[in-house]
Amino acid sequence: MATTEVTSEVIGSVWKVEKAAGDALAEGDLIMILESMKMEIPVEAPVAGTLSELKVAPEDSVEEDQVLCLIES
Amino acid sequence: MSFDDMLKDLKAREAKARAMGGPERLARREAQGVLNARSRIEAFIDPGSWVETGLLAVSSIVPEDRGKTPADGKVAGFAKVDGRMVAIASNDFTVKGASSSATNMKKVGHVKRVATERGFPLVFFGESSGARMPDNMGAKGMGTNLGHDPQQYVRTRQTPWASAVLGQCYGSSAWYTCLADFVVMRKGAILAVASPGLASFAIGQKVEAEDLGGWKLHSDISGLIDRVADTDEEALDEIRRFLSYMPSHCNEPPPRASIPAGSDEGAQRIPDILPESRKRAYDVRKIIGCLADLDSFLEFKPRFGRTAVTGLARLGGRSVGFIASNPMGKAGALDVAGCEKATRFTVLCDSFNIPLILLVDTPGFVIGIEGEKQKAPGKIINFMQALQMCTVPKLSVIMRKSYGQAYLNMGGGRNSDDVAIWPTAEVSFMDAHYATEIVSWNQQVPEERKQEIRAAMEKDSSAYGLAEIYAVQAVIAPAETRRYLIQQLEIHEMRPSGGVGEHRMAAWPTTF
Repeated sequence: MATTEVTSEVIGSVWKVEKAAGDALAEGDLIMILESMKMEIPVEAPVAGTLSELKVAPEDSVEEDQVLCLIES
Repeated sequence: MSFDDMLKDLKAREAKARAMGGPERLARREAQGVLNARSRIEAFIDPGSWVETGLLAVSSIVPEDRGKTPADGKVAGFAKVDGRMVAIASNDFTVKGASSSATNMKKVGHVKRVATERGFPLVFFGESSGARMPDNMGAKGMGTNLGHDPQQYVRTRQTPWASAVLGQCYGSSAWYTCLADFVVMRKGAILAVASPGLASFAIGQKVEAEDLGGWKLHSDISGLIDRVADTDEEALDEIRRFLSYMPSHCNEPPPRASIPAGSDEGAQRIPDILPESRKRAYDVRKIIGCLADLDSFLEFKPRFGRTAVTGLARLGGRSVGFIASNPMGKAGALDVAGCEKATRFTVLCDSFNIPLILLVDTPGFVIGIEGEKQKAPGKIINFMQALQMCTVPKLSVIMRKSYGQAYLNMGGGRNSDDVAIWPTAEVSFMDAHYATEIVSWNQQVPEERKQEIRAAMEKDSSAYGLAEIYAVQAVIAPAETRRYLIQQLEIHEMRPSGGVGEHRMAAWPTTF
């Protein structure tokens, strides 16, 4: 089992979370959408696996490179 | 001495030189999973192609060092890589930390000169502690060792240079790295002006090596490296890959490659990647992946200046350079780091006859105090000047937003040889809402009047507006873009010069 940290590309806030902990993910699946500079920034699964932990919730502020969630694969 | 004895003596001297710093030091490296100066060369080149120069060179400054400095700590020579000639300077850290002294600097100077004059790439395997001591100490040390080559650090991009940072790189190892066209760094290696020891000693700054010059610093913040590798072997693969796109010298076009099967299928996927909502971001690297020949995209500086994406690829078998705005980073608004990255990449492509493809989706430049402190106007205009001085074919595709000065920086108007636009595009000087606020700034403008102003500002910003006045050459469907670009590359081939540009920025700096 390997753990992959999914990080934020941008400074912004969490707008919508589309998956829940325990969900199975295919590579490229949409996990959440951030909001930054009036743009919606999709966060997609970089690898297939199981979403083991969500570290943010809607309206949370996020920093660049902040870990948003973990994927076990 | 008999002839046989002479030959035996020669063999013995050669064997001693090839033994480098001795079995213990070599074993220690091996245990750490790190290659040595000679195994790096072997892993890098076509088997059996190595021709060494200066194998029997030793220290010429300190007499006691003559027997202790095999090859004087820098292994130099020539070899074939994928069938093409390259020059190599490989630092041997097991011999006096590969420190620079009189003899080994002559060796490096020789391969550099031959590569330049005879027209082939030069590759550095960087791992050096800097200037050798006490050789360089004192007035006589300085006068004897340094300053004999007034062109030592002149980079005129006559042939491609690549550098791998594979250990501690201070002094000349750092300078040559920063002069290279392509730099790969192995995790754990350090690139800095001087060692953490000297930094601690001289200025009392207690620093960790990784903080002073580790891969994270250089990949994310300084942007001095192009790629990061986990192992020496991976780093060597990256350099071979880089060279595969490059001509051997600036007076020939880049090599052509065969087109992998399935390369034409990707473009059909673009409509699924490009979101319908103009507010939704996407990763432009996916679009590049669809346009380029299958698996041919080699991204430069992926973690630095992320508002822009740069990298070499092939299109229809030809080497091309992509510069793309990336909406995933700051909505695609070009920032200082993005401009620096795009400028350096433009100079590289122009110097080696590689056409540029610009993919545009940018709301403009990042504005605000932070950017101004970092000389944003200067960086923007450096990039603009580079683009306008560029003489290789430039093709631009406006995918979505193209606003203000960034419209010009990303190849709008006659800043490209051909501009194509997708029906999804919008082009204007700025967002109508902002424009309204700016013209009514600091004035008591009633809301009804603002609405009138805004209506006037909301002019047609569609792709067809540009197409009707021939400010773009074609409106094309995203899925047609690969085919269109391949056709345009053929049209804009530099026939009169045999595919060679004017290289007007060949002596520009390598960092900005």
